Amino acid sequence: MNQISEQDVKRLERIAVQIRRNILRMIKVYGKGHLGGAMSAADIVTALYFQIMRIRPEEPKWKDRDRFVLSAGHKCLVLYAALAERGYFNKDLLDTYGAMDSKFPGHPDMHKLPGVETNTGALGHGLSIAGGMALGAKLDGSDVKVYVVMGDGELAEGSNWEAAAACAKYQLENLLVFVDKNELQISGSTKEVMNYDPLPDKWKAFGWAVREIDGHNMREILDVATRFPFEKGKPSVVIAHTVKSKGFSFAEGKASYHYWKVTPEELAQAERDLAEMERRLQ
Amino acid sequence: MEKFADPRETFAEALLEAAKKDSRIVALSADSSSGSGFSPFKKNFPDRHLEFGIMEQGVVGFASGLATMGKIPVVATIATFVTSRPFEMVRNDLGYMRQNVKLVGRCGGITYNDLGPTHHSLEDFAILGTIPGFTLLSPGDPLEIRKATLAMFEHVGPVYMRIGQQPIPFLYEGEYPFQIGKGITMREGKDLTIVATGTVLQKAIAASDLLKKRGIHTRVINIHTLKPIDREILVQAARETGKIVTVEENYLRGGLGSLVAQVVSTEYPVPVRMIGIDDTFVGTGPYEDLLAKFGLQPEQIAETAVTFLRK
Repeated sequence: MNQISEQDVKRLERIAVQIRRNILRMIKVYGKGHLGGAMSAADIVTALYFQIMRIRPEEPKWKDRDRFVLSAGHKCLVLYAALAERGYFNKDLLDTYGAMDSKFPGHPDMHKLPGVETNTGALGHGLSIAGGMALGAKLDGSDVKVYVVMGDGELAEGSNWEAAAACAKYQLENLLVFVDKNELQISGSTKEVMNYDPLPDKWKAFGWAVREIDGHNMREILDVATRFPFEKGKPSVVIAHTVKSKGFSFAEGKASYHYWKVTPEELAQAERDLAEMERRLQ
Repeated sequence: MEKFADPRETFAEALLEAAKKDSRIVALSADSSSGSGFSPFKKNFPDRHLEFGIMEQGVVGFASGLATMGKIPVVATIATFVTSRPFEMVRNDLGYMRQNVKLVGRCGGITYNDLGPTHHSLEDFAILGTIPGFTLLSPGDPLEIRKATLAMFEHVGPVYMRIGQQPIPFLYEGEYPFQIGKGITMREGKDLTIVATGTVLQKAIAASDLLKKRGIHTRVINIHTLKPIDREILVQAARETGKIVTVEENYLRGGLGSLVAQVVSTEYPVPVRMIGIDDTFVGTGPYEDLLAKFGLQPEQIAETAVTFLRK
């Protein structure tokens, strides 16, 4: 498969910092936003939009584009950040986050913003829509691939497991799901709120091929994303171990930053954290 | 002698007719294929027939995803399991996303008489009617089921169509123009208007014929499209006949009667009397007896109309 150089990995790591910067930009404008999940998924989304997916930002409705479904719609800031960085629209638009009739609602709306493929937000349901897309591509003999980012908290919704069974039945080899397993949801530890571990066993039992990675290790993300289907005749899922709010020292691993209402002190720290990340990548 | 047809067989023939013309049509079954009229489709287009088992929520998401890829998915199962059960998915994945997906609820109303309230569907139109951009079809005769099915596939956007279970009579003499959102005058009259829809349209027409024998000339309007509703034909009826009786196999709350009242109360207020299912879970029993329990038999409708006229 595609050989990815160390240089590419470095480039993507730098973009991932910029994506986090875009997330902060929006939250700064509005004063609040779903931080934790956007940050934990940032490296995966960066890899998809800047290396993996076959897309044309200048032609967002291009028929043969790969599709991205953000099942956990509240992580939308990372999607907006990536679309802006990839050039789907003028980056200055990000400053309208939270404004009246903004193109950046609190959960994504495909009719408002180019590049958004689905309206998600009601949790635990993106996979069936993504499954329909992958099945549609398969019926047409198309080589379109469908990528999904789910949260681990939303796995408590039964509809996910309906979709898991159906994707396996229809042998959707063109489907790659990342479970952003940051171990936290709004009420606390996902394990305590409603345990679905062990996830690899569950997905395997539903007929999926499973890999586990460090969801912040760009090399590992790229490795799985360029080598699927992991098994013939099966959909592929990656359990990506991540840290909620990854990148912001004051918020990492804390459920209370699922939705962040900024303070001036935290804002200053967030800026310092981003600068430090950039410095390390030089 | 009245000629009857099975609504599901009629739908099955129309679906096959549409699918032969349009290869984008795919049929999604929730373990409901043969009962919902998918069998001829499945036989002719096995690759376009997708079985999901009793996955009544997930299947709506799959339909949405398939629509994104240019397919025209049709999901058909027992009415309540394609409306109430997956309501949020219908609202978000089809309505909010404006997907070109067709839902067909069969055995709607209380036509699944003996199976009881879990299998009755009296609120489907009321709840789906709250979704912006959704089209709701309620054909009342076999010919109309065919026309509504073909029109549903021609229309771009989410559509829900309900059909019944019991055989229904042919009410049209022959060919007639069918257009989504355009009501049809089935009987002319100036004394009173009866507005009816779907499975019990036949009862309203029979009631009108009974009333005619008593010298009362009622207009009968068939509202085969509950959304968008034909405001013009209703306002004209209000203006010309002064009183309206509505006849439906739905809960009165949010059903045809409510819609008619909304239209006339804002545009040309006249008294409206609503016949339908009260605020109750309907029991089981022979279908015709259940209808009688709610005053939906022709003699009862006629009686209600006479009393209403005298008021």
